[in-house]
Amino acid sequence: MIRIALLSSAHMHASAYVHGLRALSTVEIIGIFDHDALRGQAFAKEHHLPWSPQLDPLLAQANATIICSENARHRFYVEASASAKLPMLCEKPLATTLDDALHMLEAAQAAKAPLYLALPVRFAPGFAQILEAVHQGQVGRVLAMVGTNHGYLPPGWFLNVKESGGGAIMDHTPHVADLMRLITRSEVDEVFAEIDSRARQANIDDSGILTLEFHNGAFATLDPSWTRTEGFPTWGDVTLEVVGTNGVIEFDPFRPHLNVYRADAPTHRHLGFGENMDDHLIQAYVSALSQTAPHPLLANGLDGLRALEIALAAYRSQASHHSERIQHLL
Amino acid sequence: MSSRIRVLVIGAGTMGTVHSRAYTRLEDAEVVGIVDPFDFNPRLAIDLNVPQYRDLDDVPGSSYDVVDVSVPSRWHLPYVVEALRMKKSVFCEKPLALSLTEAEEMVATAMTNQARISVGHCVRFFPEYVEARSLVQSGALGDIAVVRTFRGGAFPTAWNDWYANRNLSGGTLVDLMIHDFDFVRWVLGPVTRVYAKTTRREMNRIDFSLATLRFASGAIAHLEGTWAHEHFGTRFEFAGSQGILQHDSFQEKPISITRTPEGGVALPQSGDLRSPYDLEIAHFIDAIRHDLPFRVTIEDAYEALRIALAAESSAMTGVSIDLQPTTPARGGVTL
Repeated sequence: MIRIALLSSAHMHASAYVHGLRALSTVEIIGIFDHDALRGQAFAKEHHLPWSPQLDPLLAQANATIICSENARHRFYVEASASAKLPMLCEKPLATTLDDALHMLEAAQAAKAPLYLALPVRFAPGFAQILEAVHQGQVGRVLAMVGTNHGYLPPGWFLNVKESGGGAIMDHTPHVADLMRLITRSEVDEVFAEIDSRARQANIDDSGILTLEFHNGAFATLDPSWTRTEGFPTWGDVTLEVVGTNGVIEFDPFRPHLNVYRADAPTHRHLGFGENMDDHLIQAYVSALSQTAPHPLLANGLDGLRALEIALAAYRSQASHHSERIQHLL
Repeated sequence: MSSRIRVLVIGAGTMGTVHSRAYTRLEDAEVVGIVDPFDFNPRLAIDLNVPQYRDLDDVPGSSYDVVDVSVPSRWHLPYVVEALRMKKSVFCEKPLALSLTEAEEMVATAMTNQARISVGHCVRFFPEYVEARSLVQSGALGDIAVVRTFRGGAFPTAWNDWYANRNLSGGTLVDLMIHDFDFVRWVLGPVTRVYAKTTRREMNRIDFSLATLRFASGAIAHLEGTWAHEHFGTRFEFAGSQGILQHDSFQEKPISITRTPEGGVALPQSGDLRSPYDLEIAHFIDAIRHDLPFRVTIEDAYEALRIALAAESSAMTGVSIDLQPTTPARGGVTL
């Protein structure tokens, strides 16, 4: 049995990962630690997990970790996992500053502890086919892409810049920017962004449009806004349009849904169906723990750094009103 | 002015034909001639049973009241200016012009001659766009944060393949997306900053552009214009602090006729008795007849062009373009 320790339950994806782990017969969740003990104990109780009041004893028992803390505390848990020489899956974004990100990558490398990043949309139904189609040249050369990752206004620490590092742009840039990197097999050289906080009026950036220029000449826009209101039939979306010299690809992994109309609800709701990308991510992570070659779609710390560079350049562009170049680190 | 407004249509291509049909459906207007400078489509004049001319100078000036300029954009200027100098009322297809210099000459000529001109920003007559503006301006969606628009389809095929030459058509940014530049400005007011990307001009019949606008209100708009898709369609979304409004023409077709011999080619149609073009032309004629304001003024068309050209400039240079507020020097003259 692979013994996994859950480190913090600040991020709502923690529940999804517990669900994914429990579907696997080779894995045991040995416990959860959270620097916020009340939150961690509540999570442990809700999910029937052992609560660990101390971090180090939990790490000493574990083969691997999953980190679901607030963004700004990722570094603490990554460094702790690295000190214990444990492989880890860290929630995105990797960090809130480049300095943290670099220290995290360095710690993992020095300890030879693999650092993977939770970018589950890579595992969404259909994305692997799209990637294959593009790389086989089925739509010719990729000229441009249009992406969205809309969502609700998230609760709690997401709205506290000290904990989250930023709002919608920090939270929702990584997924689709990452897909675009995989599609183009190229890095983002330049970012322009219009960013504002008018949508939810929560004193944090909640909306924006990023324009990305890739090293290979392709360009793209990304809308990571938290603009879904109460009454919208679903939480948000992930969409990606790829325009090539010989055709167009549209990717909308959350489109498969049933419409549910209830007498006691003010609006109809989408009920998604089909395979769950979070489960696929967890499977890929667990496989990587026992195999020498990780799943090709499993993102690592460097992928996380690249996505963070894009979000931070977007914030710089917001301040300067000009496009901002990215000096790639590492 | 005779009891029916007499219209001379210049250009016999797609829009010249659409406008001509719209005039003939009105009780108080008639098409009295077609000027087809490129002798492109003799059928139109034959079908309408009106004379066809090679040039505006060939037409007796007393035989018409209104000039409809529907030649390719590159040739709008001489016809618009000549018609305004003759104090004719003018309907000019969009984009008004391909440069601000040309557009300014038109504005000045209209002012000097006290002649009226409206421009074919037909989107202002599409019912879904009209409803959207009304809802947004009612405040039902709260403060608008992010707007997204989509417009496009297959690369257009027309006379001499003029759309493929950006120097003649302006490409997606100036020919196609000007509809949405005009629309979002109509709904949200003045634009203060523009950033855009477009595919390389050398691409063969592929033209795809993305633009981001910032408004004085603080709103942000993202516009997509494409001649790289297969099927024409439009979409928009207004995301506000109190709600979201979405339109998707692909989901809103009241009629679909699929004929099996052609291998299942869908022919989407509107069920409305009067098309947006009919409404646009009827409004134009009505405004002339009763001396009412145009829904689309030349200032509107000028501002839309200013945004489109700023987007083009941004796409070419890679920098964002600040737009200063304009106060057209009109000397108090109402156009």
